[in-house]
Order: sequence, then structure tokens, then C-alpha cells
Amino acid sequence: MRSFHRGFRSFHRNYTRNLILVVLLFVCLTFSMSMLAVKLAADSQVETIKATVGNYGEIKVSSEYQMEQFEAEREKSQAERQAEARSMTEAQTFVNRVENLVPEELTDEFSQDEYIKTYDKVLESMVTVPGITNTSLQQMFSMRQGDEGPGSGGLGGTSNANMFSFNGNTNGASASDFSTGAKKLVSGAFFTYEDYQEANPVVLIEKNLAAENELKVGDTIEAQISGASGADSTIELKIVGIYETVEAEGQSQEGGTGGQAFNPAGSSFYAPTSVVQKLNATPGYLSLGSYYFDSVDDTAALKATFKAETKGTDGKYTFATDLSDYQSIADPVIKARNTSMIGLAGALGACALIILLAMFIIVGGRTRELGILKAIGSTNRQVIGQFAVEVLCICLVAIILAMGVTALIGQSMGNWLLPDTGASTSQQTQQSGPGGPGVMRAMSGEGLYKQGSRFNFGAQTQQQEAAKLNVVYRGTLFLYGVLILIGISLVGMAIPVLWITRLRPARVLSME
Amino acid sequence: MREQILEVDDVSKTFQVKAGDVTAVDRVSFTADAGEVTTIVGPSGSGKTTLLYVIGSLEKPDSGTIEVAGHNILAPSADLIDYRRESVGFVFQFFNLIPTLTALENVMLPMDILGTSPEEQRTRATGLLERMGIDGRLLKARPNKMSGGENQRVAIARALANDPDVILADEPTGNLDTATGQTVIAILSALAKENGKCILMVTHDESILNVSDRAFHMTDGRLSEITVRQTRPGDGARLGG
Repeated sequence: MRSFHRGFRSFHRNYTRNLILVVLLFVCLTFSMSMLAVKLAADSQVETIKATVGNYGEIKVSSEYQMEQFEAEREKSQAERQAEARSMTEAQTFVNRVENLVPEELTDEFSQDEYIKTYDKVLESMVTVPGITNTSLQQMFSMRQGDEGPGSGGLGGTSNANMFSFNGNTNGASASDFSTGAKKLVSGAFFTYEDYQEANPVVLIEKNLAAENELKVGDTIEAQISGASGADSTIELKIVGIYETVEAEGQSQEGGTGGQAFNPAGSSFYAPTSVVQKLNATPGYLSLGSYYFDSVDDTAALKATFKAETKGTDGKYTFATDLSDYQSIADPVIKARNTSMIGLAGALGACALIILLAMFIIVGGRTRELGILKAIGSTNRQVIGQFAVEVLCICLVAIILAMGVTALIGQSMGNWLLPDTGASTSQQTQQSGPGGPGVMRAMSGEGLYKQGSRFNFGAQTQQQEAAKLNVVYRGTLFLYGVLILIGISLVGMAIPVLWITRLRPARVLSME
Repeated sequence: MREQILEVDDVSKTFQVKAGDVTAVDRVSFTADAGEVTTIVGPSGSGKTTLLYVIGSLEKPDSGTIEVAGHNILAPSADLIDYRRESVGFVFQFFNLIPTLTALENVMLPMDILGTSPEEQRTRATGLLERMGIDGRLLKARPNKMSGGENQRVAIARALANDPDVILADEPTGNLDTATGQTVIAILSALAKENGKCILMVTHDESILNVSDRAFHMTDGRLSEITVRQTRPGDGARLGG
């Protein structure tokens, strides 16, 4: 306690010398603490980004395979194709139908991986609903017919104005459009996992479409099974819920009177995957298996598992993840974090060097005082204690000031370290752009099912927000500050400890 | 009969330097009594200061025994920290006051190290400084604001802080003018006579022999007693209290 008092008194008495040291340490510590604050903010931001993006993947038919199929089909003449169609057996027709789909077996097996958190089976199909007209398609047909002239044959024999996109999921609420908020249930309820398991013929319908056809929850519609004919060629679907398209409405409002360039409202139904499989006549096949896993860090392990599980399929299937999205969003933040860590290490090194040199000079200049203290009966521990308090006081004042200034400049440092991502963000946004339902783009290899809806309209804002560093004062920073204080003080104490224990007062006191 | 307080017996100290071994203290034996001023004179480099530091436990001798107030300070069980704190007080040529402390704090320091209560420290230090003739206005003065004589008197007060049996003075007048030096010598002499302290001074100023009760001459580490013709104690050396 007496050593503490003597140390504190000595710190107070040697204020000029200590002030210089405090200022030097303050500068370095401010830089260190700012770098630390940026690092912590970046860590937190990366975790936030990880929670949003990078942890999604889907198993689907690879775009390369699809392209190969397309090229092979294109090389055939019209006559060859017609002959092939005529001679096709039922089994061959089925194989042809599921050519661009993924076996459910494969997606089920993959879902057993320890990293997988959620699993959804997605199937989208164009299904004919005889009693309801798809106004979007009808308009498109009229435009095409106008362009091509009378008798041109329209879009071909398989398309008609009663066709609608049927999105199949294991659970209505888990459909990408609903989970991302692009669409919202306004009445009724989502179909459930039980509906999927038992293949209950239920469906969700769009609000405007329901209104146009005077349909409400509880009513039924009839949907045509693909390729079937006769008495059992349709399934009666009960409407369990009505949804509205949130993003399309939002866009319409923003765009004013001329808005709504493309509104998918009205053309999509949502039903259990098992029901869509029946309607598409492709039992056991999916458009894609959709997975959320723990973290982007699991991507490599999951890809390895997928590779092992699809060995022998000749690259037909792919496990696509949103890793590149994660990278494009998180990279600037990670770069800022890495830079801040280098800055932190450098600044802490400078702090250590300053305190070591300063203590070397200070203790060297006070050798006589040390000799006197030992000559009049101070123990090494007492003298070291006194110096420890002095060093601690110096470091404490410096770090308190540094923490205060860090609170003021931390955000500026974060902004300074964060690379400018404006250009790449807008470029990416243009690429992802507004588009149709996610599954269509995902199937065509343009993007991911999740990505198609999640990064449609709000993508730019989301990415800009993700690429910001919110450097706030957090408890961890204070704790690290305390650790730095202890560390620097210990480093600073090294010289006095060595000096004091080795000092022989007789030698010192003999010197003039 | 005077009480023998210090007994040095056959003490030697050799330093190893590049040129070879240098025997600074060579089989030195002598005694000193309480209430006496014992002076060791000799040229520079004769080993006087080394002998003083050996007695003050700042240097460890190679051989011999040193007894202070009946305790062998070189015994393995001896607590040299306590010895330095309580049994000896040092007065140096260059005062060796701590520059950042005031006169009062410098005197309080040995008591603080010993664990004396702050109130008692202050009372005793003020009393000692008063006895040394330090003006009350100088109590809060730092060493650089005081004269050499004042600094040396503060140093003597510090040496007396824990009321030691032996005061070891190393060239106490070496950095002072003649008049101030005489005053300091008179103070030390008075401390021996009035307070019964054992004063052991080493110096090359042979005029100090006049106030010494016993004197030794040291050459090349060897000690030989010399006869002194004592004059009366120095003027102006009356101590208060």
C-alpha cells in the first residue's frame, strides 16, 4: 500500500516526463483501440452477413448439363424429333420428363448431413387449370400472334392461356417468396408439412386472381395432370390460403402510374411438393433440394459430401451455394478487418517499443534513486511495486484517453478502412436485377432459388447496408482495453524489474 | 565506560577487475563505541568507502565478521534489510536525496519504508529537521532549491530517521565549502556526544581528525590507528531536543 502511495506520488511528481510518455502512448493506443474497434465491428458484421447469406445451397441439375441437352436437341432435325416422339415408350417419356429434375433420393440423402439445418423440396411446374385464365399469358399470346400474323401457330401446342406456374414446397411458409417477404398471406392458412406428407390437394392462390374468378378460401379449383387424359386426369384442389405480392405492389407505388414493369401476381399457385409432383407426373423428382446450413464455413465440407454422394453421375447435378454472394458482400468487410488487425499489431508493437524505451530511459535516469531506496532498506519488491504503480498510472491515463478518443474517431477509421464498394454493388444488383420467380431463374442456372427472390428488389440496399461498418463502443472493446493496459504495463515493467533486481546500491551511490 | 557498538574483525574485500584482483579492504579490524566519532582518513582509492559500504551491508565482504550492537550482520540468519532500516544511517558526499521529494518527505522516507504511521513520520521528521537547523519554510523545498549545507543536513536528518545506532558518513564535507563543512562536522560530533550515536566517518580531509575520538589511516586497504589530538567540538553544533 505504501509502495502504491509512493508510486502514485512519484507519477504525480514527475508529471512533465510522464506527460510526454502518456502522449506518446495515447497516440499509439488510440490507433490500437480504433483498429480494435474496427476489427470487432467487422467481426460482428461478418457474423451478421453469415447469418443472412452464404449459408444457403441447393442441389439441382447443372447448367452445363442442361446446355449439353439443349445443344443435342438443337442438332436434331424437326423430322427426327417428331419420329422420336412418335416412337417413345411410356418409360422413355418419363425419362425425358425428368431429364432436368433431381431425384428426391439424392436430396434426401444429402439432407442427412450434420451441417444441414433446414431442408426443403422444391418443384415448379406449369400446370393447366381449365376453369381459370392466365391473363398474363393471354396478353403474351395476343402480342405474339400480332407479331407473327394470323395462322402462325402461337407458342406451340403445349402452351395455353390456362397454364399457371405451380410452386411446390414441403411447407407453404417455407416457400422462398414467403420466407423472404416478397409475398404475404392475406387470408386462410399455409399448407403444412402434413399436407405435403399426405399429398393433400390444397393450394394457395393470388389475391387478384382469386378476386377476378370470385374464389375464396374453401373453394376448389380443378387442375390438369400433365400428359393424362380421361376421368382421372384432373385433381380438385382446395384453396386454403390467399396471398398478395408485396414487392410487386411496392415497386408499383415507387414507379408511380407507369410502374409495374413485370408483375408475377396472378400467375403462381403454391401447393405441397407431393401434389405438384402428381400434377407434373414426376413422382420422386424435384426441381431442386433447398438447404440452409450452419454457416458459410461449412460450404467446403458440404461440397465434399455432395461430390461423394453424386459420384458416377458425370457432373449432371450441382450443389450451388450463395458463397459468391457472401464473398462479394463480406469481402470488403473482411479486408477492413484484416487491415485493422495489421494496424492493431503494428500499433501495439509501437506501444510496447515506446514503453520499453521510455522505461529504459526513465529507470536509467533514476538509478541513483533506486540505489538510495535500496540503501535505506527498501526491498526489491517495494521498489518494483513503486515503479509498477507509476507504469500502471501512465498506461491507465493513456488508455482512458485513447478509449475516449476511439469512441469519437472509431467510425471514421472504420469508414476509412472499408474499401469503396459502390461500383461493384450496383453492378451486382444490375446482374441480379428484377426477375421472375426464383425457381425459374435457379433452374435456368441464372441464380439460386433463394437468391432469385431474396436479392431481387432490395438487393442494392441490403448489400450497401452489409458493406457498412457500425463501429460502436461495446463491452468487448473495454475488456480488450483492460487487457492491453495490463499487457503494456507488464511490458513496461520488464525494464524496471530487471534493473532493480540487478542493481547494486554500493556501485550507484559511489558515482558522482 | 563507553559501550562498544561496532566491531569489525578481520574483514577483507577483493574486487575482480580486468587488470586482476584488487584488494580494497585487507584484513581490517577495529571497534567503535557509542557516543564517539571514529574517523578513517586516507587517500582516494585506499578502500575507505568500500569498508564503509561493507559495514553498511551494501557490499558483502569476502571474509571476516562485523558485529553491530552485538549482532553479527554477516551471519546467514541476519536480516540485512532490517539492519539497513533500523541499525545504520547513511550520509553521503553527494547527499543522495531523492530529487522529486521535499526535504520533509526525504526524511519521512526511511520511516515510510519501515512502516511507521504517517502522523508519526511527519512529527519525527519535522523534529529532526528542526534539530538540524532547517528552516520551517524549507520543509516543502525540494533538494534543488536548497544549498549544499541544507541538503547535507536534510541527509543527516534522514540518516537519523529510524534512530539507528550507527551513522556511516562517507565524505560528508566533500561537497561543501569549509564553513558549511565545519557545521556539518559539528552536527555529527554533537550527535555522538549528545545522542550517544556511533559516528563512523571516512574522509580524506584530515582536519576532521580534530573532532574525532578515534582515527585510523587507511592505505591500500589496510587500516592503522593514529593518535588524535582532539579539540573541542565544532562551533554552532549545538543540537536542539
